[in-house]
Amino acid sequence: MDHRYYGEFGGQYVSESLMNTLKELEAAFEEAIRDKAFLEEYDYYLKQYVGRETPLYYAERLSREYGAKIYLKREDLNHTGAHKINNVIGQILLARRMGKKKVIAETGAGQHGVATATGAALFGMECTVYMGAEDIERQKLNVLRMEMLGAKVESVKSGSNTLKDATNEAIRTWAKTAEDTFYVIGSAVGPYPYPKMVKEFQRVISTEAKRQILEAEGRLPDVVMACVGGGSNSIGMFADFIDEPSVRLIGVEAAGLGIETGKHASAMALGQPGTLHGMRSYLLQDGDGNVQLAHSISAGLDYPGVGPEHAYLRDSGRAEYVSITDVEAMDALMELCRLEGIIPAIESAHAIAYAKKEAKKLGTDGVMVICLSGRGDKDVHTVADYLDGKGYLN
Amino acid sequence: MPNRIEARMQELAQKKEKAFITYMTAGLPDMEGCKALIRAQEEAGVDVLELGIPFSDPVADGPVIQAASYKSIQLGTNLRKVFALMRETRAEGVEIPIIFMMYYNTILHHGIGEFVRECAASGVDGLIVPDLPMEEQGSLRDALGKEEGAPLLIQLVSPVSADRVPAILNGARGFVYCVSGMGVTGQSGNFHREIMTYLSSVKAVSKIPVMMGFGIQTAADVAPMKDIIDGAIVGSHFIRLLEENGYSTEAAAEYCRTFKREMNAL
Repeated sequence: MDHRYYGEFGGQYVSESLMNTLKELEAAFEEAIRDKAFLEEYDYYLKQYVGRETPLYYAERLSREYGAKIYLKREDLNHTGAHKINNVIGQILLARRMGKKKVIAETGAGQHGVATATGAALFGMECTVYMGAEDIERQKLNVLRMEMLGAKVESVKSGSNTLKDATNEAIRTWAKTAEDTFYVIGSAVGPYPYPKMVKEFQRVISTEAKRQILEAEGRLPDVVMACVGGGSNSIGMFADFIDEPSVRLIGVEAAGLGIETGKHASAMALGQPGTLHGMRSYLLQDGDGNVQLAHSISAGLDYPGVGPEHAYLRDSGRAEYVSITDVEAMDALMELCRLEGIIPAIESAHAIAYAKKEAKKLGTDGVMVICLSGRGDKDVHTVADYLDGKGYLN
Repeated sequence: MPNRIEARMQELAQKKEKAFITYMTAGLPDMEGCKALIRAQEEAGVDVLELGIPFSDPVADGPVIQAASYKSIQLGTNLRKVFALMRETRAEGVEIPIIFMMYYNTILHHGIGEFVRECAASGVDGLIVPDLPMEEQGSLRDALGKEEGAPLLIQLVSPVSADRVPAILNGARGFVYCVSGMGVTGQSGNFHREIMTYLSSVKAVSKIPVMMGFGIQTAADVAPMKDIIDGAIVGSHFIRLLEENGYSTEAAAEYCRTFKREMNAL
């Protein structure tokens, strides 16, 4: 089988001018992850700078409320507030090893942009972040953070002015500047070897979680769960459990206003494969094969595609993919705030919301590990607007 | 029937002339206007015409073609309508070689087999798929190989293709499209710093004509490489010219005649 593929998904659907760049990247990456010195450096920064390992927290009150034993993998406690930094540290160390002086990144909500700007500041690299004009408007705080960290935020005004277009623009810029510029992709998407690279640099989530749950429970969990936009926190959360057949893997996509309304971000729900951003995977598209806009209250899940390995895990039956609406996610977000004193990112709240449904089936002896991929500080305005509209607090 | 692109290339080789190739986005200013522009270019002596099938995420294109593509989608242009335009145009006796320049998702979504059949039936002579490097061409090539009168899959090379060039050219037909710089369409005056060496190296191993595209505006732009290349492709500049002149067929024809005359006088 072609190593660039996960079943029929993945590949390298990019212009000819990027093919040699991808080959160089693959060679450098494969060499780096076999190099003890590189891995030691990566581990060093994860420990001393990011603050790993992150706790696997037994959420006692939530468990009582939902009806199964729920453990939260606290990626929200990482420096910069989400799992994104794990991958950024890995890719930037690789960029430095390859002699690149500049990094570029795409960002939607701004979390990956902030993480990349942070990594670039740490290693003294020039950083440009591509962000849709619409998202810049919606996520002013993160724009400011990136600028404070010394990054240049490039406003993208094409197509829908959101993440998908920012990604297009980052790819275009990369095609022009690959000689001295490294493209740091934040999700488990893009042309090979990006999906593999992001998985390896996020694998630490499940490596830690597996050891931690064995210590806490003396056995593997029944269910491992994470939210899925492009699929970076989920592929990291699944990685070390994929070869444990007793563990059910559940990915939670955003159903937005409901799958039936067409306003959602669930690439898997309709199961139509396509090519975008260098990969073949499931993709939201209209009747003419144009990419359809995704919708989710969570900017981080607002992506029309999904990582190719997830598409493969779905088709092979190894993982299940479900979806949660905006409303369900916001209810779960508030519930977690009040029961555990943890304000989760709206993205992560999708996984919490599905845990509520799954816990009842599992029963009180069931053990569930959920990736709490990020914290919700960035979302307070969205939450406030939402609560206003819904009158939740009244 | 021989492929129209190959027939035209042979004709030009005999006359010792260079090929002039244009690109325009299908469906602009509207379907009828688009047909009129195709006819006008045939009359003006354009050798091959690239028709861009608009796609929502044209990642190999710069701002000019992106905007044109977006506008055309808003007007309702889709592959089905462009096939209809092709059938009508051919039925009206237009014989200019036509290439579809499009992104792979549009083909996948239509279904590869059905797409190839419709291309053959409607008189499409070639395909340029910028997000389909040779490693990913298998399925499309298989389908093209099975269909009588199927279009040629035009191969692209870039200044950094280097050791990939022989493999890319293996079995390539029509012409080879040499991208003049790094990045996307429409960056004028920005040819790669090693453009001459690069073009010469492709020319040295290519059995088919070598065309240069990306960032070309006038025949003078290709004067330095006139002894290497067999023709030039103009896209973004041509689209801008069409827009500035309200899609006038006369302005389009005048530009094409001038470019072709000047290029062959170099």
